[in-house]
Amino acid sequence: MSYLFFPGCSLDGTAKDFHRSTLAVAAKLGLELPELKDWICCGSTAAHGTDPLLADALPAKSLSAAGGNTVAVACSACYSRLKTANHHIAGDAALRARVAQVVGVDYDGGTPVLHLLEILCRDIGRARIAQTITRPLAGLRVACYYGCLLARPPEITNFDDAENPTLMDQLMETAGATAIGWPHKTECCGASFSITEASIVLELTNEILSMAKAAGADCIATACPLCQLNLDMRQRDVERRFGRRYNLPVFYFTQLLGLAMGCSSSELSLASLVVEPQGLLESKGIGR
Amino acid sequence: MIAATIEIGGVGGALASEVKARSGASPMSCLQCLKCSSGCPVASRADLKPHELVRMVQMDQREVVLASRFIWECTSCQTCITRCPQQVNIAAMNDALRVMSRAAGKVAPETTVPVFNDVFLSIVRNRGRVYELGLMASYKLRTGRLLEDADKAPMMFSKGKLPLLGPRVRGRDQRREMFRRAAEGGNK
Repeated sequence: MSYLFFPGCSLDGTAKDFHRSTLAVAAKLGLELPELKDWICCGSTAAHGTDPLLADALPAKSLSAAGGNTVAVACSACYSRLKTANHHIAGDAALRARVAQVVGVDYDGGTPVLHLLEILCRDIGRARIAQTITRPLAGLRVACYYGCLLARPPEITNFDDAENPTLMDQLMETAGATAIGWPHKTECCGASFSITEASIVLELTNEILSMAKAAGADCIATACPLCQLNLDMRQRDVERRFGRRYNLPVFYFTQLLGLAMGCSSSELSLASLVVEPQGLLESKGIGR
Repeated sequence: MIAATIEIGGVGGALASEVKARSGASPMSCLQCLKCSSGCPVASRADLKPHELVRMVQMDQREVVLASRFIWECTSCQTCITRCPQQVNIAAMNDALRVMSRAAGKVAPETTVPVFNDVFLSIVRNRGRVYELGLMASYKLRTGRLLEDADKAPMMFSKGKLPLLGPRVRGRDQRREMFRRAAEGGNK
């Protein structure tokens, strides 16, 4: 099975652990992820908040080079931008013509875009993944955190239930963990306000961490570089600001899945996590 | 909530039409059910809550809307549009209002989001991809927020999360042309 991989900018920097663990998991499954050649930034919030046409043109530039192949995305923000551009361009002939003028290529909005969670759960399937689990995450209680952009808005992403997605929960259960029920799966972490107005992120991540803790989670699993960074790197700031103690490791779901598949800490870049996970993993008999 | 009473001079004026033309969103469809503000992650801190913003647009309150902090504090989380029974796309409305606010010189003084967006896009134009270290350095220099989060960079270096060298994708001249044509509306 093979998809053209659109890693997105974060996966070559702050989220290189997401990148490494994605490739480690893919290798265990025989999933090939050759990189989409010369992909460029999806434009993120900066583009859609500045120039809506540019926000559709940047994804169109990358997706038009996919030659009709399905594009696999790890970052949920990239996923949202690529799918939104597809939705806009495929549904509006006048916009399609304007985007063609900007990009220099007439792109029809038809390159299929899938998130890794969709590929793992639907295309590969839990039965196949279960065959690769050599170190079940028994006793590990995981709060699966999807953030905003995988499931919303559903008519664009068509990902899963918009209020209660379960794809990541299914994967964690397949990996032997317990996916806890909790109400903050799709609450917002504040995203790029981490740089421009950190108080927004501190307030919102405090709500998320607090709810995960109250629901009995040992750790959080994420599918977005911004969510992960906000919940992990800012967790100490949140604890100081609100006088709480959470100590909740915040993994990428690929790191937890990779652990269950027997990948090493270094293959999964566990040392990149700010809230140390080793104590928790050892207490569950998973660490090494 | 804005403290002063707003005098209603008519409903469904030029502002609502312009917002609709730019964003495709239909502010006139709003029933004021408040589902948007109930789910909005930043409503509790907003000078205008989402349902109030839409009502202001309906009432043609251009000054209040374009100068509001809320249009810059919206996290684009898409909760409002996902839950709106009338499918008023407030997130898309806010994108249009941000563009209009900048063009009118009405950007709320507290926000640095436009600076961040400009720095971000100029890096994408030049390099093709985001160079995170360069993004943070340029943003800090442009805003003078040099000491904020001073502890984060060393932590990120030590965790291997902040490569010193940035990415560079070929085709810079072509990208510059793309950005120029987009700014002109894709008509050239």
